[in-house]
Amino acid sequence: MPAYPAPLLRPPRHRVDPRARRWWTVQALLTVSGPMLLTALVPAVLGALFFPGALPWLGPLLLVVLVLPALGYLVAMPRWRYAVHAWELGERAVYAAGGWFWQKRRIAPLSRVQTVDTVRGPLQRRYGLATVTVTTASTAGDITIAGLSDADAEELSRRIGEAAQDVPGDAA
Amino acid sequence: MNGSDAAPVNGSDAVTMNRSDTVARRRLDPRTLLVHCGWMGAPLGSLALTALATGGRITTGAWLTLAAVAACFALVTAIGLIRWARTDFRVTDERFELRSGLLTRRVRSVPLHRIRTVEVTATPLHRLLGVTVLRAGTAGSGDGAGALVLDALRTAEAQRLRAELLARAGAGAAADDPVLARFSRRWLRYAPLTFWVVGGVFVVAGAVYRTLHGIGIEPWKIGLVRRAWSAFGSGMLWLTVPAALLGLVALGSAGALVLYVENWWNYRLEWTDAHTLRVSHGLLTPRSVTIERARLRGVLLREPLLLRAGGGALVRAVAGGLGDREENRRRSALLPPAPRAEAVRVAGGALQSPFPTPESGNAGAPEPGASGASEALARHPRAALRRRRTRGLLFAVLPGTAALAALGAAFTPVLLHCAWIYALLSTAAVRWLARDAYRSLGHALRGRHLVIRAGTFSRDTLVLQRAAIVGWTFTTSPFTRRAGLVTLTAAVAAGEDGYRLPDLAARHAPALASEAAPGILEEFLVQPTGDAGRDAAEAGLRSR
Repeated sequence: MPAYPAPLLRPPRHRVDPRARRWWTVQALLTVSGPMLLTALVPAVLGALFFPGALPWLGPLLLVVLVLPALGYLVAMPRWRYAVHAWELGERAVYAAGGWFWQKRRIAPLSRVQTVDTVRGPLQRRYGLATVTVTTASTAGDITIAGLSDADAEELSRRIGEAAQDVPGDAA
Repeated sequence: MNGSDAAPVNGSDAVTMNRSDTVARRRLDPRTLLVHCGWMGAPLGSLALTALATGGRITTGAWLTLAAVAACFALVTAIGLIRWARTDFRVTDERFELRSGLLTRRVRSVPLHRIRTVEVTATPLHRLLGVTVLRAGTAGSGDGAGALVLDALRTAEAQRLRAELLARAGAGAAADDPVLARFSRRWLRYAPLTFWVVGGVFVVAGAVYRTLHGIGIEPWKIGLVRRAWSAFGSGMLWLTVPAALLGLVALGSAGALVLYVENWWNYRLEWTDAHTLRVSHGLLTPRSVTIERARLRGVLLREPLLLRAGGGALVRAVAGGLGDREENRRRSALLPPAPRAEAVRVAGGALQSPFPTPESGNAGAPEPGASGASEALARHPRAALRRRRTRGLLFAVLPGTAALAALGAAFTPVLLHCAWIYALLSTAAVRWLARDAYRSLGHALRGRHLVIRAGTFSRDTLVLQRAAIVGWTFTTSPFTRRAGLVTLTAAVAAGEDGYRLPDLAARHAPALASEAAPGILEEFLVQPTGDAGRDAAEAGLRSR
């Protein structure tokens, strides 16, 4: 093994807005946990109404396979995400961390930035949040910072735009 | 006419030389004379046929033909003899010289370092006589115009001379040869070593079945099929199954061969000028892809498992502007499945620097130009091996065994035996594959390039320009974090956009990333706390 010196990559400085936790919770409820709970509810109700004999094994089965994972996801994912998600605008590069189970830290130099998009979905708007996406020439270099407050997003996209112009480079 | 003096006169490299050197001049093989009598085969053959057909009675016309043939034979042989006597060649320390000419003497001489290609070819007649034609081409000579042709040499001698010329031609040979590679029929043996051998048959069979089904024919109800099934199918399983497998492989191989030929016939890879690489190939639909040198960001040497077992490899370009993902996959091919040594040579030629050929067992002969670049790649931590094993056990061994065991417990004990046999065999296979995958893993910085090798089902060696990296991604999961590993992805505006460096030691990854592509992540690095860490970090600062 060559003796690579070992400086470490620190996490980005700024956390996302705390309201993002609520946004992610609602998102989880709508996309994953809600459907799973509904799926569990239907056989449970049918079983209770028509096949009461099946409940002793159907109940625990549904609980283990659907209900507990759904609740676990609903509770854990937003907190975990909030602990991970962070961003930072350096002098020469943008740096963002994201994900929860699989975590990603991505760095893209400002000289390679092509566009900066700010997106506000209907849910995000309710919580005053926005997502900033920085695209580069490579799709594997695109940076997404989700869960910023409106003001932060505005500020960040403005600053990235300015910085990208200041840093020389052809963005290719 | 393809005589021994066929070396053209006014090639750009033709230099008249009359220096008396001590190096002995060598002659062509005398059997060359016989080769040149090959044209007589047709008239003599027809004569013989006529004689046979008429029962041995040879007409006057036939006699006349025979006389003419004999006269021609005498003439050709005489000329050939003189030509042979007056043709010789030698290889001195610097030059390759060919002296020829019936009446006007010509000496063609090429500096050895300008020789780019040395080809040996043989027609069936040549092969019958055990001789070979050797053609030494220079840059810019393309197809023969400036080439020195020796027609013909004893096969063994031709091979020796070829090796001699290539060895002296030097390391630069691969670097700026306009034609990097041409189709060779010998590559066809790699065609069956692709997925399509078995997969293709199933795909075709499925398509046929669906078509038949669509027009209302049930293949199982065709009388022939039913009779065949009742005669052989159920009765002699021990015969039917191997026969079916054999048929499948034969059919698949034939299909793969046809595909290979259709795709790659007339294949040619060349630098059309200093800035453009062109790949052209195809039998029925010739296609050609041009890649600008500025957009060529690297080269990928791919060795799928089967192909690797057969000593083959294929080469892809990592280039921008080839289109979307699918188009890129189709258009980035630089070399079809071919011998690994050839693939390494072509990859080096496309990179215009020796392709680093890391140790890989004994596969692949060392290239003359690649020496010095063949140090081993940096290994990844042992945890990567454990991860590969665990993954295999979890996703291959466990589900199959559990399913078989459950079915066995429910229905028949035969399946229980199947379960433990499957568990044993698949565990062995998984362990072997994991080990192979781990041995494949490696990375290195080589001059302007980052070298990444990974994969077992398809072992890919990527040589990527460091300057082309436009971003880094560090990916972890709870498992890799616990094992101290991280997967690094280099973002590139070319090829597949992201290239993964799987399961690096987490401690070393940031330093590697900043060394490979400086100027991206330095400001986000911190010195680790603790004495050992500080030492390492200081070393890191110095190195930057």
